[in-house]
Amino acid sequence: MAGQKVWGRRKLDGGADSESDSVSVSVPAAAAVRLHVVTEDSYSDWEAVYNDNVGRVYRMMFAKVGNRPDAEDLTAEVFVTALRPLQLSASVGEVRAYLSATVRTVLAAYWRRTLGREITRLEEDWALTEPVTDTGDGGDSGAVARAEAILAELPERYRRILQLRFIGSCSLKEAAKELGVTVGNAKVLQHRALRQAAAVAERMEV
Amino acid sequence: MRGVRRFVEDLLSRRRTKPFAVDAADESQIRTAIALRAAGPDAEPSDEFVSSLRERLRTELDDAPPVPEVREVRGSRRRFVLSIAAASAASAAVGVGAEMALSGSGGAVTAEPGDATVTPDNGEWRGIVAVKDLPDGAVRPFDVGSIVGFVHRSGDELNAVSGVCTHLGCKLALDGPARRLKCPCHSATFGVDGAVVQHRLPVALPPLPKLMVRESDGVVQVFVPPRQA
Repeated sequence: MAGQKVWGRRKLDGGADSESDSVSVSVPAAAAVRLHVVTEDSYSDWEAVYNDNVGRVYRMMFAKVGNRPDAEDLTAEVFVTALRPLQLSASVGEVRAYLSATVRTVLAAYWRRTLGREITRLEEDWALTEPVTDTGDGGDSGAVARAEAILAELPERYRRILQLRFIGSCSLKEAAKELGVTVGNAKVLQHRALRQAAAVAERMEV
Repeated sequence: MRGVRRFVEDLLSRRRTKPFAVDAADESQIRTAIALRAAGPDAEPSDEFVSSLRERLRTELDDAPPVPEVREVRGSRRRFVLSIAAASAASAAVGVGAEMALSGSGGAVTAEPGDATVTPDNGEWRGIVAVKDLPDGAVRPFDVGSIVGFVHRSGDELNAVSGVCTHLGCKLALDGPARRLKCPCHSATFGVDGAVVQHRLPVALPPLPKLMVRESDGVVQVFVPPRQA
């Protein structure tokens, strides 16, 4: 019955004891219908909100923190924070704007409590409504383009070590072998390369 | 410098990063490391993560904050008010208030489930307050046994709404100065006209049902279900 889709009533409907049963029987169809008025541009329940946006929120967080466990923690924080007060009567656009705002807040709070500086931020004009390129093999095109722009400014060996390590996910050992140097050299090369890449990136920001 | 290296090492090893004291030079390296890493693997959420978070949310959203007052009487009160909602959703007759439910005499109002156009045909007008005691802008609670609610006047217009939260049926409290009706259970707030002002519930909350209201012989009256025999 319709009532089962109502999140807040799930426990009541799903319960096996007699008390719950009698509740579910009396969940009024009229009220249920009102809870389920779904236009084309709104979500039917929190799960629909989640399914439609979890990928976007994760990709966004990943682009801003650069690793999976942190991105997962923050994605979870966004949904835990956002879903409870969410008004499902809001349109898809409003829900996404609201999620974007939550992403922005959660990210800012994360940097504040970890490194004490706002390392990355969600640009004001960024919204979850932006088209997301699903390439299948992952990655959002903006992040790739940006990384490539930074790498393009570097000397060949610096570019190679960063490509191997950051994008190709090679171990230090594998990268060293690829470049024909010792592990120690590869390590030093990586540090220098990153320092120079940071200088390049800073120049590009200005 | 060490901090940055460890941070970058964590990034590359796909570990959680750890806090450290950051200076300006560190900051730009960290930002660059993240920018490069953003083009690397892991940019898509794993299926495992997506489904485990869904389960976690299911658990957390299901556990509404405990509300002792309601829990104690849940068997009678909640069930009862839900059944009232069937009638009140479509008709002006809201049904019987929580007090009677507690005494166990539920089921005074019936409606065909799903019938959205029920009109109350067995109610009565009950006086609740003298017209002179309800000046412009005033809000008064009332309790006529079968119904609890609030009546208010703005200008020439009289308005009466049910005093039972449309979420789980808790009795609303009047916040006079703010002209708001507040639910003590999950903090939903309604305007005195019954409109939802705010709530933190994961479901769409219906507005409060309105009651028919009139002035007669200097008394404000509401149309409510008849008293039980």
